[in-house]
Amino acid sequence: MNVIKEYFDTLIANIDRVYDSQKHNVVKAANMMAECMEQGGVIQLFGTEQGIEFCNELNYRAGGIAYFHNYSLNHLLMHNIITKEDVYVTKKAYQDASLIDKMEEMYQLDNRDMYCLISQSGNEPLIIELAKKAKERGQKIIAVVNKQSYDKNNGKLLDYADMYLDIDSADPDLALNINGVKCCQTGTTVANILAQMIHAEIYRYYVNKFGKAPVLLSANINQADIHNNALTDPYERRIR
Amino acid sequence: MVNSLIFKNETEKLLNYLYESQKDNIEAAAQTMAECIEKGGVIHVFGSGHSTGCAIDLAGRIGSLVPIHICEPADCVIFRKVSFEEFTDHTNVFERKPGVAQFIYNLYNIKPNDIFFVLSNSGINGIGIDFAASAKEHGHKVIVITSMKHTLAENSRHPSGKKLYMLGDIVLDNCGPHGDALLETDDIEKVTAVSSICNNAIMQSASARTIEILQQHNYVPPVLNCDENHDKNLKDKYKGRI
Repeated sequence: MNVIKEYFDTLIANIDRVYDSQKHNVVKAANMMAECMEQGGVIQLFGTEQGIEFCNELNYRAGGIAYFHNYSLNHLLMHNIITKEDVYVTKKAYQDASLIDKMEEMYQLDNRDMYCLISQSGNEPLIIELAKKAKERGQKIIAVVNKQSYDKNNGKLLDYADMYLDIDSADPDLALNINGVKCCQTGTTVANILAQMIHAEIYRYYVNKFGKAPVLLSANINQADIHNNALTDPYERRIR
Repeated sequence: MVNSLIFKNETEKLLNYLYESQKDNIEAAAQTMAECIEKGGVIHVFGSGHSTGCAIDLAGRIGSLVPIHICEPADCVIFRKVSFEEFTDHTNVFERKPGVAQFIYNLYNIKPNDIFFVLSNSGINGIGIDFAASAKEHGHKVIVITSMKHTLAENSRHPSGKKLYMLGDIVLDNCGPHGDALLETDDIEKVTAVSSICNNAIMQSASARTIEILQQHNYVPPVLNCDENHDKNLKDKYKGRI
């Protein structure tokens, strides 16, 4: 078999496995988020390393539910509080718990909000600090971890979580062995699948209860801006 | 009807279709990537909006190719060329302004043997089109990832009327639907976007084939393997470029 095909087959097998193991938890997580949104809450997202992509997949996404907001290290980068090297090379940004306060100074937060926090290992001080703060404020937390990595690294994130989803990937996440070179990953894409499953289930919740759901259109469709702004403008800076 | 099972099943069908329809283009992309690496080049990956995510999936991980560089619009602010307020002004979307892409292109340390992936699901916005044009003007190969269904259904927002796919030496169709969202509903909107999932599958499988081609050419693939010295030496080789 050629390696291109082998990669696609591995990815699909991993999607099947994670779907089977997480489908009930996804519905539970989506219902928790939808109930929060119904009460005027926003789902606050934060992810470490490749978890950033999971957050991007939930936040302000075409065909996605509108009421998410992302704690993004890009905001600190753009204020020159940290450097790209801190995020992508040394990764020391994830070790600095004080950065949470700096992010929160920039955001319009609300006690009705809840949190969805993703970290493969669940042990970085930055994300633990955010979980701790949210817990102290009495806000609900859904954690997303890779349980294999979490157990290996003595993760702490689940100590604060009301429930969790498991990306259920190998640790390290290496999908292929090409003549002795272990390479290529599926975990980020599998997490994207979980994110879109959450959108699907929140959509289902809303439609069953209200007949329609707050879904964003692709910004690259004519007139989409008007539709999207009508959903997000009432939330002022809480979403964008 | 929308639920997570339907989403999962439809996405898997789409991934199978993506493989069948794009395997030759993925092979061509991998040949270009391998040639670039053998010549000491770096693979720059540019995406705006959600297309940036694909680059995050590819770079800096155990099992990843090292000479990958993420280019993103936020770099304008990070390199202090544009204010945060201007960048985040939703009433005048930064990425739709003319001239922004050339500005971003000039931020980076780009060498003659480097190649570019430019990702845009719609392929209609000026920023991706201008970025690809800048790379081509400087003699670099450009590989485009876009949704052909979306790009053919919308008018270009670029003054030239061009779309991104017209600038690609190789064009990879991510096979996603118009508007990115996969599942139909009873209302006007569709739900559950798939471009990030398809883009990741394209880039990861192209990386896999690149590694195999390099081995066939007796070139040791520059892949991070968790050995501190090995990984440090590899990163040092591309220092200032990745």
